[in-house]
Amino acid sequence: MEELELFALGALSEDEAAALQAHVSRCEECATKLAQARGSAALLAFAAEQGRPAGTVKAELMARIRANREAERRYAWPSKIEAPDGGGSTTKPDTKRNWWNWVLVPAAVALALVSFALSWQNRRIAAELQKEQKAAESMIRDRQQVEKMVGVLASADTVTVKLAGTGDEGTASGLVKFNAKAGIVMYAADLPALPADKSYQMWLVPAGGTPISAGLLGPGGHAWGNMWTGEVPANTQAKAFAVTIEPVGGMAQPTGPKVLLGAT
Amino acid sequence: MTPQGTTGETTTDWSLLARIGQRDEEALSALYDRYSGLVFSEAKRILRDTGAAEEILQDLFYQIWRTSERFDPAKGSLAGWLLVAARNRAISKLRRRSGISEGLDENGVTLSVDVELHAAQNLLLDKVKAVMGSLPENQREALECAYFEGMSHTEIAKKTGQPLGTVKTRIRSAMEALKKVLS
Repeated sequence: MEELELFALGALSEDEAAALQAHVSRCEECATKLAQARGSAALLAFAAEQGRPAGTVKAELMARIRANREAERRYAWPSKIEAPDGGGSTTKPDTKRNWWNWVLVPAAVALALVSFALSWQNRRIAAELQKEQKAAESMIRDRQQVEKMVGVLASADTVTVKLAGTGDEGTASGLVKFNAKAGIVMYAADLPALPADKSYQMWLVPAGGTPISAGLLGPGGHAWGNMWTGEVPANTQAKAFAVTIEPVGGMAQPTGPKVLLGAT
Repeated sequence: MTPQGTTGETTTDWSLLARIGQRDEEALSALYDRYSGLVFSEAKRILRDTGAAEEILQDLFYQIWRTSERFDPAKGSLAGWLLVAARNRAISKLRRRSGISEGLDENGVTLSVDVELHAAQNLLLDKVKAVMGSLPENQREALECAYFEGMSHTEIAKKTGQPLGTVKTRIRSAMEALKKVLS
């Protein structure tokens, strides 16, 4: 095509160049001729009057390159380009793009710190959760205990036993709610305060056998309003209930003076 | 500086380019010594400005340093790229065009002669000078307007006052004469 030479020189108009380019992209013969034309056109550079640039140009170029190398020193990839002819080229030691030192190490340290902080926080949260669970379990037990007490109080099998003061506590009084099936003894009493080393202890006196402890009332005074609960073996038949003064912590069998007594 | 040892004239452009890719400054220096004169002279011919030509020269070789991996020997010669790229940048400056999209395609330029050796370059310089000197004035003018001033055939026709067809013919004839000598 006649226009190839002009195209190679850049002398065609934009429209003409675009049309020719479109043709060349489809025509192998023209593509080859165009390549030859371009090669010839490039040699027109040899028609220019020859001169030499100032020596400072190369010096500035090399300085620019060294500055670039310094900047790249931590980041340059090892290059594996090989010359097609393998002629005489040797490689210098590669400088590696040291992402590890400048990007990954700080990132790894930051990640480790975050992980430690999260781990510590997780342990703290787990401990708080455990604490809350225990509190919830305690509340559940308390509720269950209350439900049990309410159940005992409302049960038809529950008997009420009034306790009267004996000995020096003649004015004392007490009340027992006893459910033999459940083995629950609930009681309230109006007793004077005891020394710190003493406790009031409730006893179930069975029809046969030795008294069975139904719990302690503590050393303090017990005005009406406090309901204590004790457990005894289920289906124990009670003949009477009594309260004695025992050492703090209670005894296996009554040892102290009797202050309250009531028969079923 | 005359290239010595492993950067001597027996070292091909692609060998030098490969070493430039591995940050070998000596290789770039050798490549610069090999082509700086041609590149500078072409740019200066177009711009008529030594400083501007030196700037283009330095930028082109710095570009080679930075992007050596992008040059593919299968797609053309490095010398061809240098000469066309220098021409495009100079024309762009000359005509104040934005970018170089209107310039010649810098990729895949294969020179019909080997110019890696100084002797070959010198020989080619003599040949081209002789051809240009032998061309009719109107053909040489048309060719130089197209190549060194980046003018289209329409602009050349307008400048010379010649018909468009005549300008095209003159340019083609001049190129044929050049190719004949170079072959």
